[in-house]
Amino acid sequence: MAQIVNEQKRQMDSKRQSSGRILLLPLLRVRVPTPAALRGEEQLSEPGHGHVPLLLARVLQRDEELRKAEERRIRRLKNELLEIRRKGAKRGSQRYSERTCARCQQSLGRVSPKANTCRGCNHLVCRDCRSYSPNGSWRCKVCTKEAELKKTTGDWFYDQRVNRFANRLGSDMVRLSLRHRSAASKRETVGQTLLQKAQLSEPKSSSAAQQQSPPAPREGPSLFPDVSDPPDGKSDTESMENMSLDGYRPSPGGVGGRRNSLERAAPPRDGKQVAAPAGPAASSLTLPLRSKTALSTGRDAAVGTCSSTLVDEHGTIFKKNPRRVVRPADYTKSVIDLRLEDFVGEGASLGDRSKSVPGLNMELEEEEEDIDNLVEIHRQRVARGSMRSGTSSSTLGSMVSIYSEAGDFGNVAVTGGISFSLSYEQKTQTLFIHVKECRQLAYGDEGKKRSNPYVKTYLLPDKSRQGKRKTTIKRNTINPQYNELLKYEINKSLLLARTLQFSVWHHDRFGRNTFLGEVEVPLDAWNFESQLEEFLPLHGKIGTDAAGLHQYKGELVVSMKYIPSSKHPGAGNDRKGKTGEGGELQVWIKEAKNLTAAKSGGTSDSFVKGYLLPHKTKASKRKTPVVKKTLNPHYNHTFVYNGINPEDLQHICLELTVWDREPLSSNDFLGGVRLGVGNGMSNGQAVDWMDSTGEELNLWQKMRQYPGSWAEGTLQLRSTMAKMRP
Amino acid sequence: MTNGGCATRDGHKEVSEAAGNLQGAAPRPARTASTGQDRGSQNRFLKISTMTDGDYDYLIKLLALGDSGVGKTTFLYRYTDNKFNPKFITTVGIDFREKRVVYNRQGPNGSPGKAFKVHLQLWDTAGQERFRSLTTAFFRDAMGFLLMFDLTSQQSFLNVRNWMSQLQANAYCENPDIVLIGNKADLSDQREVNERQAKDLADKYGIPYFETSAATGQHVEKAVATLLDLIMKRMEQCVDKPPGADAANGAGSAKLDPAKAEEKRCAC
Repeated sequence: MAQIVNEQKRQMDSKRQSSGRILLLPLLRVRVPTPAALRGEEQLSEPGHGHVPLLLARVLQRDEELRKAEERRIRRLKNELLEIRRKGAKRGSQRYSERTCARCQQSLGRVSPKANTCRGCNHLVCRDCRSYSPNGSWRCKVCTKEAELKKTTGDWFYDQRVNRFANRLGSDMVRLSLRHRSAASKRETVGQTLLQKAQLSEPKSSSAAQQQSPPAPREGPSLFPDVSDPPDGKSDTESMENMSLDGYRPSPGGVGGRRNSLERAAPPRDGKQVAAPAGPAASSLTLPLRSKTALSTGRDAAVGTCSSTLVDEHGTIFKKNPRRVVRPADYTKSVIDLRLEDFVGEGASLGDRSKSVPGLNMELEEEEEDIDNLVEIHRQRVARGSMRSGTSSSTLGSMVSIYSEAGDFGNVAVTGGISFSLSYEQKTQTLFIHVKECRQLAYGDEGKKRSNPYVKTYLLPDKSRQGKRKTTIKRNTINPQYNELLKYEINKSLLLARTLQFSVWHHDRFGRNTFLGEVEVPLDAWNFESQLEEFLPLHGKIGTDAAGLHQYKGELVVSMKYIPSSKHPGAGNDRKGKTGEGGELQVWIKEAKNLTAAKSGGTSDSFVKGYLLPHKTKASKRKTPVVKKTLNPHYNHTFVYNGINPEDLQHICLELTVWDREPLSSNDFLGGVRLGVGNGMSNGQAVDWMDSTGEELNLWQKMRQYPGSWAEGTLQLRSTMAKMRP
Repeated sequence: MTNGGCATRDGHKEVSEAAGNLQGAAPRPARTASTGQDRGSQNRFLKISTMTDGDYDYLIKLLALGDSGVGKTTFLYRYTDNKFNPKFITTVGIDFREKRVVYNRQGPNGSPGKAFKVHLQLWDTAGQERFRSLTTAFFRDAMGFLLMFDLTSQQSFLNVRNWMSQLQANAYCENPDIVLIGNKADLSDQREVNERQAKDLADKYGIPYFETSAATGQHVEKAVATLLDLIMKRMEQCVDKPPGADAANGAGSAKLDPAKAEEKRCAC
């Protein structure tokens, strides 16, 4: 049997080699097909070769049907979640008692807050609004629904995948951001990408056929940035193959379109068409191509280490050589350039193209935004909810609460101290912090001579939400007796590198919590054996001035360019249907340095988010991909804002914030900058966000001064986005 | 916690259409290899609209990979349609099949748990080297993998190692859920890979191993069910762990003692 099979394989192989006409898939190593052979492809009946890519197209088509059904299903599910939320959740706006269920608003009576706190959202939740999992633990219904959604929508999978591939898909991300899309299309599958390409090529090819020389620097199928390669023989083959697939359309009327693209595909054989567009775009491409072919020479191993992660999204799938391991760093850039040029020059066809994208990604993105919003709203409620801790910058994802951080410190003259003991249990690898009491605390509410103190701990440098522990709140006392155990499960060796921080806070039911003092305990020198009680005096915030504003949070390297509309023909005409006028603001987020570690292990998984104030909306939101496990991330990502007139630059402000991505939870704020004129005014109104100073201001002015060229700056990250100006 | 069992239900319509073009479930003819004359037949059964109604709880995407000729396509055909096609039709690039199954998640004490409708999308890949760059690109979209080799071909077994490294490089994470499958177990007289060998390799990777036969249907369902179970468990873990519960951060005082939660009743 095996022999027969082998025999057959051999047959196939020899057949493949002997026939130059098998244009199976573009990725196949086959000979350059003659135009006649290409046309032969359209005869579906011809067995064995010609129709093969059509098979692929059909498979992809089927896949899309399935995907569409899946999208509908997911939309339905997300609506259900919205519904549950609407019914249940406590509204941030309306005041509610702490002793009510966060879901059904029923009074809870006297309950132990701990036993009734949902471990997902920290709300107090009554029994009826819980869902128990098989192992006996429970969450509130909203959190359960959220978890369920993660499963049923496949988000658990896509989230993981995003983590893995986010870094490597730099070029793709740029492409996305240029299309005014955030990197949100995490659900995109290879099949989808391929299919879209096939579909996209259609309007493209017809438009190109009509006007062969548009102002575009290049005219090849732009979805394959690598296709219009320099005119050496190999790349011709490639581009030929690429295009032939490019032209496949699964739709019944596809023949015409395909023929069209096939005819276009033929010329590259004599190397004219693709060679023609000399110019920056074309030349910048030579480099990556060469290195690629160089790498491709050793293709003997049975299974190479193909890195198709880069390959896939880019149509480079259709590369003949699967063994391209590394792609030079410049590659990303050259792709960027290309796309830019492409977009600039082909404003008209861009319109077509975006129309021909069946709206998949857009819809998807919106959905994701929806859910983002939901979660954010949810978290905000948490912030205002009974387990209030609205002042810790690291715990809350919502900008609102972050921004309100300032003003909580420095109002109180710190007094008193805290009494505690520590022990470490080797067996369970757990640190036990016995918080005994505090003495002689300051009054959180000076007017009423009241304090409702509680103690919060972190194992610095981890200031993430997961690393936070809190005691209960003791009412109306400045000498609270806690006698509570706070636990951290942590490896001993890791623990010794940490610093235990106690901070004491006055809990204010209706206002902000007030900082009452803190103390740090470096654990490397701690004698865990003694378990003796310690009493340490509290002190004010160390290393920060009254507002804690000038804490060092690292730097952000940003390059910006403003391109006025005149230098930017075709821009804005077709995009967004906005003003039709206006220039383009490009913000190249290069890297960050010395970020704060938010994760255990002293790293962060960071990304940068941008808003163009005064519009703090989805439309002005941009995000970079997440760069994992580093405090010095290189983002190399460009945000593009369109339709901006030169005079607008006086009134807008670019807000960039750096976040530590915390999957399944709220992200941690790592710092931010605001770039603008910094005069506190926008469109004639006083605004607190127009507060740029120093280098922020300089960079913005430099950019305005030299339109069309990059202005680069290294900016100190602010530790809070609360307004700088008094 | 969730001891999954997997019961299957017959696939829907498209299944029977598929059967029309292939050699049905006739008494098993001698395995013969034939050149891919009717390659088109793979794709003539395209009407799957009845399947894509979205009436399911989970969409799980699996992918079969392995050397050319190990029987990935027939394996999947057996699984989805419970039929055997002895012809060798080389898969061109990529294809997929679908099947709706019911997944039972058992309760904590073995009580019958909730049943979920799971829609399986089973990607079939070409084993041939020349399709490699296309097929590996699809690895990233799959949630679990059926890594297959041919029990009658030592070479296909040796290549398992390579496939594993391909998976590690291209799947959605570095340790995705995989089952190792030695196919063509019915051809015992031509066997080249013994069970011990294969089992050892699977153990080395920490993945389950099954000897299957697409011809007889032996262990076919079981292998897929096992993979599905692994995926469902991983899914639970992914979602269930408290936000960001890394090893170091752990779940501290925030974590509720379930027993305690039981005791206290709220007043509403």
